[in-house]
Amino acid sequence: MLFSWDYLLQGFGTALSLQNLLYAFIGCMIGTLIGVLPGIGPSSGIAILLPLTAVLAPTPAIIMMAAIYYGAMYGGSTTAILVNIPGEASSVPTALDGYEMAKQGRAGPALGIAAISSFVAGTLGIVGLTFFAPALANFALAFGPPEYFSLMFMGLTLVISLSGRAILKGIISMAIGLLASLIGQNPLTGAARLTFGSTELMAGINFISVIIGLFSIAEVMVDVEEKIKAINMSKVRDVFPTWADIKRCIGAMLRSTGIGFFMGLLPGCAPSVTTFVAYDVEKRVSKHPEQFGHGAIEGVAAPEGANNATSSAGFVPLFSFGLPTAPSMAVLLGGLMMYGLQPGPMLFKQNPQFVWAVIASMYIGNVMCLVLNLPLVGMWARIAIIPFPVLGPIIVICSLIGTYSIRFLAFDVWVAILFGIIGYFMRKLGYPIAPMVLATVLAPMLETSLQQSLLISQGSPMTFITRPISAVFIGLAILSLVRGFWKQMKSQAPEVAEEEES
Amino acid sequence: MKTQKSADIASGCFLAFLGLVTIFAATKITGGLEERLPPRTLPYVVGVIISISGALLAIRSWRLRGENPPIKWPDRAGTIRVIVTIVSLALYLALMDFIGLPLSTFLYVSFSVWYLGKYRIWYPLLIGFLSGAISYVIFIYLLELTFPVGPFLTR
Repeated sequence: MLFSWDYLLQGFGTALSLQNLLYAFIGCMIGTLIGVLPGIGPSSGIAILLPLTAVLAPTPAIIMMAAIYYGAMYGGSTTAILVNIPGEASSVPTALDGYEMAKQGRAGPALGIAAISSFVAGTLGIVGLTFFAPALANFALAFGPPEYFSLMFMGLTLVISLSGRAILKGIISMAIGLLASLIGQNPLTGAARLTFGSTELMAGINFISVIIGLFSIAEVMVDVEEKIKAINMSKVRDVFPTWADIKRCIGAMLRSTGIGFFMGLLPGCAPSVTTFVAYDVEKRVSKHPEQFGHGAIEGVAAPEGANNATSSAGFVPLFSFGLPTAPSMAVLLGGLMMYGLQPGPMLFKQNPQFVWAVIASMYIGNVMCLVLNLPLVGMWARIAIIPFPVLGPIIVICSLIGTYSIRFLAFDVWVAILFGIIGYFMRKLGYPIAPMVLATVLAPMLETSLQQSLLISQGSPMTFITRPISAVFIGLAILSLVRGFWKQMKSQAPEVAEEEES
Repeated sequence: MKTQKSADIASGCFLAFLGLVTIFAATKITGGLEERLPPRTLPYVVGVIISISGALLAIRSWRLRGENPPIKWPDRAGTIRVIVTIVSLALYLALMDFIGLPLSTFLYVSFSVWYLGKYRIWYPLLIGFLSGAISYVIFIYLLELTFPVGPFLTR
């Protein structure tokens, strides 16, 4: 058994040490800040800080990274409600009713219910993580290289098929991500590939440069296009919703937790997808659907609950299979690998102290985020209206410094700038970014497991379909691609990817 | 590339070409032919996927008869702002090795804040100075990371 109450209690013991509490708190602060600020998302935030945390031990570093991720889910609602600017794509549905409530003078209760719903769903999501992840890891103990290859292949195809109405663009995005990570030396043989004689390219392209370029630099480039308009912020009076408000939202919180958590287990179902689904479901089950879009408080509770439940659920496949479901999870996976930790069933077996400390810290971090977001909401709102001409260059500097500190090579920063330009054009032309990020991070593992599988099977690719678990994954992968193509072929609309959660 | 259709045709053709270049480059990869998965196999496969998908995208878009939304390109002033941002980033990076991280940060931030915000000159200079000073204190002095310090400062 990979779960026991003793492990969980030991995890709490580690997470409650002064050092780990401090890093969880720093993570929650940075995460909330990232969530509040438009123009920087959790993926780029974690990627920027990843190289700088190399001085820390793995447990506090990953506790902080995880806190940044779920902290960002809390912060995104603040600007969505107060100024109608969602800090993250997942907060777009929150703005629909949250901003309406703010215009009606009820900004405080909207912010309050957003924080409470985030806390309830986040905590229930972590309860799910506590029991689901070890159970799935137990199942994954039977996996060999062919199963891992098929699982990662399925993960990539699901991300592609769920990336809106752009299946071909999704495939291209994934292939370019793979291409970028193939540059350099073959992981097993050391043979040089696609280096064109360049010594810099021999060292390969670091995935952190790619992610910072695609998210951080490209986002700033999109933002500098527009002249910044003046922002009118609604006044915040009392952030505590009434008991009647809370009672009205209990159903929405629980439903959105279920939707967010179970959808969040699937690769490609990022918070930006699940929040819209939760909002739509809430509107359908409501006795007053006509109030949605005009300041219905459940319209705030549902998406805020869903995005926090999804963020907790994302850790289940990450910890039990080593499979990231969203770009932020891919960056976290990179962080784990940087510390020599291989996520998957062996993580629970070989490093139980680490994995349970991170899970326990998430319970504590959710309480911290609630405390940070209820009384301090006015402060976050003020930070959020820092003018872009000041914020943009500072984001760029942090991104470049973060990229430079990976290997202290200017080459990595040039790569980030190049991928910033690529990311800018991808956004403009409607190419999804998530498949590229996931492919870049997963490529080395994908290639290694493919090589090992072929070695074991003496070169026969039939190993992927003769082993039952692997065959199921391959079948699901083909099914998701065929379904995506079918939908695309029936449509007469051009290929345009939907807004993505970073 | 004003509309989605023309942009998809152009980008599809470009990607089909990029895929062909990848296939050609993969043929130059030597060694390991006796292995189960020779080092050139995956680049080949990826090149084929890119070129076929790019070509399919271009053909599908060319044949498409339906809605054709415009691409939201920036206006002239916006385009200039994007270009200036990229050029100033490149200059920041090129200068960093010679004048060090703090000074190049000061110059980049001061210029960008002034250029994007059109504030009075003291304000961008103040933000630039603070950014340069913080970058020195945190990354060079406290974390002792090996960033270039430049000729005027010491570690």
